[in-house]
Amino acid sequence: MNRKIKLKWCPASAVAFDAVPFFDEGVQAGFPSPAEDHLDLDLDLNSYLVQHPSATFCCRVEGDSMVGAGIQTGDVIMIDRSLTPHKGSIVLAVLDGEFTVKRVDIQDDTLLLIPENPKLKPIEVGEESNFQVWGVVTFVIHKV
Amino acid sequence: MIALVDCNNFFASCERVFRPNLISKPVVVLSNNDGCVIARSNEAKSLGVKMGAPAFKSERFFARNGVHVFSSNFALYGDMSKRVMDTIRPEVDEMEVYSIDEAFLVFEGPAAEERARALREKVERWTGIPVSIGLAQTKTLAKVATRIAKKMPEMNGVFTLSSSCDLERALHRCKIEDVWGIGNRSSSKLKSYGITTALKLTLADPAWVRRNLSITGTRLQKELQSTICSPVNDASPRKQSIRTARSFGSEVQSLHALNESVGTFAANCASKLRKEGSCCISITTFVMTNPFKPQAPQYNASRTIKFEVPTNDTLEIVASAIQALKFIYRDGFSYKKAGVLVSAITPSSEVQLGLFDVVDRSKRTSLMTSIDTINTKLGHDKVRLAVQGFDRKWRLRQERLSPCYTTRFTDFLTVKV
Repeated sequence: MNRKIKLKWCPASAVAFDAVPFFDEGVQAGFPSPAEDHLDLDLDLNSYLVQHPSATFCCRVEGDSMVGAGIQTGDVIMIDRSLTPHKGSIVLAVLDGEFTVKRVDIQDDTLLLIPENPKLKPIEVGEESNFQVWGVVTFVIHKV
Repeated sequence: MIALVDCNNFFASCERVFRPNLISKPVVVLSNNDGCVIARSNEAKSLGVKMGAPAFKSERFFARNGVHVFSSNFALYGDMSKRVMDTIRPEVDEMEVYSIDEAFLVFEGPAAEERARALREKVERWTGIPVSIGLAQTKTLAKVATRIAKKMPEMNGVFTLSSSCDLERALHRCKIEDVWGIGNRSSSKLKSYGITTALKLTLADPAWVRRNLSITGTRLQKELQSTICSPVNDASPRKQSIRTARSFGSEVQSLHALNESVGTFAANCASKLRKEGSCCISITTFVMTNPFKPQAPQYNASRTIKFEVPTNDTLEIVASAIQALKFIYRDGFSYKKAGVLVSAITPSSEVQLGLFDVVDRSKRTSLMTSIDTINTKLGHDKVRLAVQGFDRKWRLRQERLSPCYTTRFTDFLTVKV
């Protein structure tokens, strides 16, 4: 691997957001809002980001090999282990005992790990290498 | 069919989920305070590392054989356990979580073994934790089946004990001390009568079993004969007692330091009781010196105090624990371990009030509720009694603690890729 990605683990449960109230009318001020009765359910970002709580893990990313997919240094990625990876999935994989995040592709019966950075070359996963998909990356949380 | 699902080498497996470079390497997890080995990966077992081996005696062996050693990280194991149990729950008809790494399940209808195999794959895929599943007619037999599932790799982690010839062979091979629910005392008693295997117990005269092993023995014999005596129960039974005890990082001599630790253990017990909605009637404090230093003067003692009215009040429980400690404390010893046990637990709702009770119970209850609310919000023991102190000289030794990968936002593991 020519470019290094550093991963830091953090908990799914710690990414518990305070409930964000969701208004379906515009926000009004000054006099009692006629929209008050329409204040909808609190938005729960966990339910949006986490489909399978017992199979979902988060980790923090360091490195620029996946910038093309919007995964940048400092971002938190959500990983769902229950999903089956497909051609084109971005995965957290274990290659010869080390973690990496790449897009998987299959070309001429060869499994490839594709970085999303034009400066980097795809990694061929040979028969002899010890490879396992740890989980499928489902979301990136990026602080702007 | 009743099934027992048992996580393989659970604590070691939890550590490995986040350290894939340790797959197929020997891994051990040490008890609280890095005292002794409490979990071993299969590779560590093959090296001959024994369960309960004292860590300080094994240091060299670990280093020489490349054994990876972890302090126990119960925040991580607790979270992974919850994930495993949550993954299982929707797939079964009934479930009883039996311990941090075991659960009894019910598969109704046909194809129980196929469902068990599918479940085993699901748990490993979703959580990374490998499990073994044993199926049989009763819990006690399911326990026997799980042992076989673990021991025989050709079973691929699932074994059904159903045909009578399988059953007889399995019970013949199962030593009496390995039967679920047979304690040390019962097993030596049974052996002295020539009952050395589970099969021999099933063939023993029921009247004799009743006389010599009481009702527990009778139930066990019936369970081994495929009659259910202990059904799979969804509701977890109320605990009979709660114990908090620790070995100290370094030995302590003074009553002051013991007061701090015993006070903290007692406060933990009280808050656990409140969490369960329970009260206790008695409290026991115990202290002991280091048995691994036989040349040092040895002293072990315990003292139990009973409450007039069952309680879960931190002030009362801590005061009694410290009072008990004062009775048993002797100067001139180096104490290695102390602990507190609250027992005779009853639901708070069923507490009989005392005729001469001098404590304003409702006021105390609201005080405890406030303390619990603050501590839930701001962190464990933020509000504490002065006796619990802040020195924590006795605090745990956890030199090889892994990060709390799944429960603490700040606990980052940096993986070199």
